[in-house]
Formats: sequence, C-alpha cells, structure tokens
Amino acid sequence: MEEKKENPEQQTRKFNFNYDKYYRILLVIPLIILLASLIYLGIFYSKHGDILYKDVSLSGGTSITINGEIDQGQLEGQLKAKFPDVSFTKLEDVASRKEIALIIESSASPEELKPEIEKILGYELNEENSSTEFTGAALSQNFYRQLIIALIISFVLMSIVVFILFRTFVPSGAVIFSVFADVTLPLVIVDILGIKISAAGIAAFLMLIGYSVDTDILLTSRAIKSKEGSLNMRIFGAFKTGFFMTLTALAAVLPAFFLFTGLPDTFRQIFLILAIGLFADILNTWLTNASIIKWYCEKKGIK
Amino acid sequence: MKLGLRIWILIVVLFLALLSIAPWKFFDNGVLIKSVEVNSSAFEQGLRQGQIINSIDNQKVETIQDFSEVMGEKNFSSNQSIKTIISTNEGEFVLFDNKVPEITVSLLPNSNLKTGLDLSGGSMAIVKAKDKDLSRSEINDLIDVVSNRLNEYGIEDVQVSSVSDLQGNNFMKVEIAGATPTDLRYLISQQGKFEAKIGNQTAFIGGEKDITSVSRSGQEAYIETCQQAQEGYFCNFRFTIYLSEEAAKRHADITKNLSVNVTQQGRYLNQTLDLYLDDKLVDSLLIGEDLKGRVTTQVSVSGPGTGATEKEAFTNAEENMKQLQTILITGSLPYQLEIVKLDTISPNLGKEFTKNIIFLGLAVFLIISVILFIKYRKIKITLAVILTMFSEAFVTLGVAAFISWNLDAPSIAGLIAGMGTGVNDQIVIIDESVSNTHLNMKERIKRALFIIFGAFFTIIAAMLPLFWAGAGMLKGFALTTIIGVSVGIFITRPAFASIIRQMGE
Repeated sequence: MEEKKENPEQQTRKFNFNYDKYYRILLVIPLIILLASLIYLGIFYSKHGDILYKDVSLSGGTSITINGEIDQGQLEGQLKAKFPDVSFTKLEDVASRKEIALIIESSASPEELKPEIEKILGYELNEENSSTEFTGAALSQNFYRQLIIALIISFVLMSIVVFILFRTFVPSGAVIFSVFADVTLPLVIVDILGIKISAAGIAAFLMLIGYSVDTDILLTSRAIKSKEGSLNMRIFGAFKTGFFMTLTALAAVLPAFFLFTGLPDTFRQIFLILAIGLFADILNTWLTNASIIKWYCEKKGIK
Repeated sequence: MKLGLRIWILIVVLFLALLSIAPWKFFDNGVLIKSVEVNSSAFEQGLRQGQIINSIDNQKVETIQDFSEVMGEKNFSSNQSIKTIISTNEGEFVLFDNKVPEITVSLLPNSNLKTGLDLSGGSMAIVKAKDKDLSRSEINDLIDVVSNRLNEYGIEDVQVSSVSDLQGNNFMKVEIAGATPTDLRYLISQQGKFEAKIGNQTAFIGGEKDITSVSRSGQEAYIETCQQAQEGYFCNFRFTIYLSEEAAKRHADITKNLSVNVTQQGRYLNQTLDLYLDDKLVDSLLIGEDLKGRVTTQVSVSGPGTGATEKEAFTNAEENMKQLQTILITGSLPYQLEIVKLDTISPNLGKEFTKNIIFLGLAVFLIISVILFIKYRKIKITLAVILTMFSEAFVTLGVAAFISWNLDAPSIAGLIAGMGTGVNDQIVIIDESVSNTHLNMKERIKRALFIIFGAFFTIIAAMLPLFWAGAGMLKGFALTTIIGVSVGIFITRPAFASIIRQMGE
C-alpha cells in the first residue's frame, strides 16, 4: 500500500505529532455522534413507540411478492385507498438491469389483500407468479420481543467474554462501549432511511456485536499487552491491521449492493446492517476505543 | 514444503466435506423415485423410493418431462397388461401391468446441499392451539395427527416438527417442499373428525368420550404374525382400544343384527368397521364373530402390513398400526388450531435468487483475493489466505450437507459475510508474525492466537441466543456463522499458522 513507500520513522513522527495533541478531540467526534444518535432514537421512540420500523414479519400482516415487472404506480394508487398502510419495495438486479419482483406489504390478511391485487392486475396470483407470507400479529410481536431479548443477551454475553479476556475495567469497558456505539449508529441510519426491519435484520445486529469486537480486541491487546515500540506505534500498527480486516469484511458485504442486487430481501437487509455497522466500527474502534486506551495507558504509565 | 499434521488435518477435512457435498451428483443422469405406491406392481417388482431411473424401455430418461413423455406414449388400457422395462441404478425391473406404474419421480439433486424454502419454493406454516398453551407431549401428538393427515391426502415432501421459543411456547411447524397444496390451510388447521361406522351407523367416534384409551405398547399392541404370501410377506398388527360403556353398548346394538361370513382368514361379521377421518375412509376392519351383539369395552383392532421381505412387512405393519393408533388417539383434537404464520414461496423467484447468490459469492471471493494481493504483493501469502478462505466456506457447506441443513437466505448471508471476516484471522497471524520482532515466532503466533480466540468466543456468544429466539427461525444464520468460525479456528487457522511459520523460518 501507499504508506509503505514512505520512510517509516518520518511517518511515525508525523503520526506522533498529530495523535498526541489531538486524540482527546478525536474522542469527542464519536461521542457527539453517539449522543446525537441516542437523542434521535429517543425522539423516534416517543413518536413511533419503538426504536425502529418493523416489517410485517415483526408487526403482523402480509407480504406478497409478485414475480416479474409490475406496474407499481397503478397498484399503489388503487391499493392505498383500501389499505392505507400498504408499502412497496422493488427488487432489481443491477447486473442485468432487470426488475425481478415487487414486494407489497400490509397489515391486512392475505385473504383481504390478494383479491384486491388480483383485481387490479387482472390475473390470478398463484405460486408460479407470486409468493405470499403471512405472520399473525400476536406471533410477530412475540418474535420481536424475543429477538430484542436475544439482542440484549448477546450483548451481555459478549461483554462477559471481553471482561474475561482483559480482566481490567477500563480497557474492557472501552471495547464494550465501542460495540454499543457500533450497534447504535446503524440503527439510527436504517431509521433515517425509513427501512422496515425484519427478523433477519435484527439477527444482523447480533452478528454485528460478534464481528465488530475483533478489531477492538486487536487494538487493546496490542496496546496493553505488547511491549514493542512506542504506544503510538503499536496503536498505529493495530490500526493498519484492523483497518484492513474491516476492509475485507466490507468487501464481502458491499458487492450485494453494486454487483448482484437481485437477492432476497432478508439477505440484503443483513448485509446493509453489517455494512453500516462495519463503517461505524472503523470510527468507534480507531477514534473512540483507541483514544480511551491511549488515555488509559498514559494514566497507567504503559508506554 | 513439509506437510505437517495440521495441514494433513485440513486436507482430510476438505476431503470429507467433498464427500459430504457430493458435487459429482451434478453429472448424474436420470430421475429420482420419490414414492412407490405400496402393493402396486412396481412395488412388488422391487422399485423403491430413492432409486434412480436411467431409462424406460431403452429410452433415456433425464428429466421429469422425459419420464412423462415415455409413459404417455405407452398405451395402457384396462384389459391388457403391457410390458415396461425400467432400468435403474439398482438394476432392471420388468413390469407387466394394465396401468401406468404407480410411482412419482423428481429431478435428481445436483449435490447433497439443500436450500431452504425461501430459495427452493414451498410452504411453511406455524400452528398453535387456539387460546391454549401446548405442552411438549401435546405438540408431539399434534404432529403425529397432522403428519398422518397430510400423508392421507397424499402430500409428499412434508416435514412436521415442533419448535419452541425463548419463552417456552411450543408450536407445530409444517414445511412442504415444492408445490403448495391449495387446501393446506384446511389440512393443517382443521380440528379433524374421526368416526367408526358399521354400514351407515356410527359405532363410536374419536376422542375421550367414546374411546377411553388406546394401547400403544406392551402386550396390548404388537405385531402378531408374519407369513409368506404369494407375493412377498404380510404381517398382522393388533392392538386394543377401550371404549366407554356408552360406545360399547352402541357397538353391540349394531353388531347383534349382522350375519357371519366364513372366510379363509376366519369367521367375521358380514359388515366391516369403517374408520373415517374428516369423512374420508382411512381403514376398514373386519369384526370377529365373537363380538356379535356383545357389550364389550375392549376392542381388538388388527390390520395388515405388507412388503417384499419379512422385515419390510414388519415395518409396514408397525407404521400402519401407529397411524391407526394416532387417528384413534387424537382423531378428534380436543382443541382448535390456529395458523399463526403461513408462507408460500414461489419456486420461480428462488431460482433467480440462487443464481444471484452464487454469482455474489464468487464475486466476493474474487474481490477479497484481489484486495489481499494488493496488500501483501506476495503470491504465496495471498494464495495461502485464499485457500483458507475457500476451505472455510467449503467445509461449512460440507457440514451443512452432512447434517442435512436446509440453507436458507440468512444461512448463506452468514456464510458470505463469514468469508470476509474469516480471512481476518489470517491477517492477524501475518501481521503479528511480522511485527513484534523481538519475540520468537512461537511467542508471536501465541499473541495472534489470543486475539483470534477472543474474537471467536465473542462471535459464538453473540450468535448463541438466535438458536432459541423467534422459534429458531434464524437458527440457520447463527449455525453457518458458528460452523464457519469454528472451522476457521480449529482447522484452517492451525494449518495456515503452520504454513506461515514455515514461510517465516
């Protein structure tokens, strides 16, 4: 990569100069973002009674996927009158520029929704040309509650593992705090984008908890356990490794949005949340967590 | 390069994964027999579920269409038996029959990998009792009834299982691959009505009111005799049911007016006890002479099982007995059912999805390889990382095939996302081994392992709750992720560390 061409010492000096002076300020940036996120979620909660928009698999209702190119405008106009909560998602494949399907969601039952769509389209919906998914309201709310509990358990278990690994309060706390911020930011962004979260989407948040920790562990272990070079060099070395790790992780999830996009909705949602989470992880590991660790090491006299 | 133990383990595991996935099935030609009607001439000649038909009457059969075309050309008429030569992987079978062989076929799978309903199409329902919490055993009885009923209706490829969630609620899950029966909703949620009739009079009905208990094991439920018959074997099952006083009296009132038929098998009444489920005849039982007009609360129900071998006949008799017992026990469910989730997925869209997912997986693989090469500029290191990344994905698929796990979209998402993070362990090993130069190689690898194991345990901890939450609907996602990281940590990572150590030294 580029930095290899520079003289390492010169590079380190430059890094030292900037970092020692500004690392506290660097900590402020993610803290402001986190604070703003929490305020946003607070407002969102007071408005919607929840911290995210739920799709029908979590709120109850019907999702009908009609295969092929479907005139959304025509359906939208007529269905909205009968089912005010109806919403549409188009599935397109970027590579072939082909419309694969149209997904229609509503809290109504399939028995109510299907005949109306058939009337507008002028043909019968069967399993050759469409899929129907129905989830009862009680079950979906039950599922949602459980997935949120699972998310909390996941976070607690992750925290326990981190504490066992480092056995000291501040470094462990910094990792856990950074993971918390990794989960919060994607949540705010999907809310802002107005994306309705499915059960698979919440599972993606659990995965994020697991996957965003590795760079934090790398950083903390290099900073406090290793003795080689200066603290700044170790942090910078960890950054080079960790950033590359996150980059390869992003390389796995991003093509789903540019190359082959004709994928199941659950699939895309998992990847979207992971992608946003990985970006947030870069910020939180190398600004938040690194700053806290540097501050901790300076206090403890680890050089 | 020396192939150490760790590298050998990787090679062996890769080989086992290959055996488990069996990708060469892609080149197999023919159609798979999905079912054979018991007692049909095809069955008697030895055709069985699972055999692969290669040709019929020397005409090649490679698709379902081929199969129906060949069968369509044959001129079956009721008054003349014609010859059909069916050549399979287990030999040739020659049938003489006046009707189309009673077998159903499906396309051969390309490998042992199975995709979930969201990719292959089919339907899935989650059912619970209306206004009632079901216990484990109640759910299991329910599953028996519903499976039985679905079989009665001739629905194939159905899986009925129990699922429970984090809060301890039990549900019944019904999964049907392929075409969705139009009356599925009715089939799985209807309460079910059981009636035993003699002629057109009802002797007793299902449920506790008439049938107080059904013996299921021990001396009151067993396979009685097995005999060789003209074609194959047949076994007899026998079990006892206990009727209430009221039902027994009703039974006596009806039977006292019947006459006795003397047959080869014994002396029986001239009318049978016909068992109906949802107004559909499921079985007819002969009534022994000694029961005529007698008030008996104890009824011995018997029936046959047939098969080409004695063992087959025995198993068949056992199955038949269980079916009948199940109907009698829960023929009429004491509670109403409610479908709380019902998905019917079109197989057509799934094909498109599968194609795109495969392309996506390849693209991800390629992109990561390129990124790695740009970073390390060393073909050896890049190849080693690519190999481990590939091994992880491949072995994960192998495990999925081995445990017959249906890979749904979230499972594959977990697999592909895992490809990106799977190389992370390798990156840590490389970077730790080139930094920390004051330490020896062993110490450096040890440092790397601390980070790797730390990350491993956090992922396991984070994904674990998904095994239970939401009735395990996202189990696949957690499963592929956990298998992926476990393969990474216990198999590919040690092999990779060993390769890097050799490169370093």
